[in-house]
Amino acid sequence: MAQTMGVRSIVVSVEGMTCNSCVQTIEQQIGKLNGLHSIKVSLQEKNAAIIYNPKLQTPESLREAIDDMGFNAILADPNP
Amino acid sequence: MPKHEFFVDMTCEGCSNAVTRVLNKLGGVQFDIDLHNKKVSIESEHSVDTLLDTLKKTGKTASYLGEK
Repeated sequence: MAQTMGVRSIVVSVEGMTCNSCVQTIEQQIGKLNGLHSIKVSLQEKNAAIIYNPKLQTPESLREAIDDMGFNAILADPNP
Repeated sequence: MPKHEFFVDMTCEGCSNAVTRVLNKLGGVQFDIDLHNKKVSIESEHSVDTLLDTLKKTGKTASYLGEK
């Protein structure tokens, strides 16, 4: 997937989620952003796997978007 | 300072923590979160619109209940 032109994926660590409704709101909110292809949030692993268009989003802008929602987001591995 | 009461659809502690974080980021607010009743009362010089927008950043349903 990462090889495809115009598509990149990252994993962002997200701290502070405690239930499924937190997971859902993040998926809904971040999924609405421009250039987002898909987002999968894991409550157990405390992270969000995001596939996005690097022309429209950067890892930092994605991290900030989650941070803005009130969760502590940290860029984990830039090349999962 | 005026005290405003908002309804925020919080379901767990993670939700109320998120609300706490966004409000602290905004700054200039004193607030109380009542998770059980899904209410947030905020004492602030910020306008109601600013506060409501901030609460909505969490992605939860939020509405203004009125002055307290």
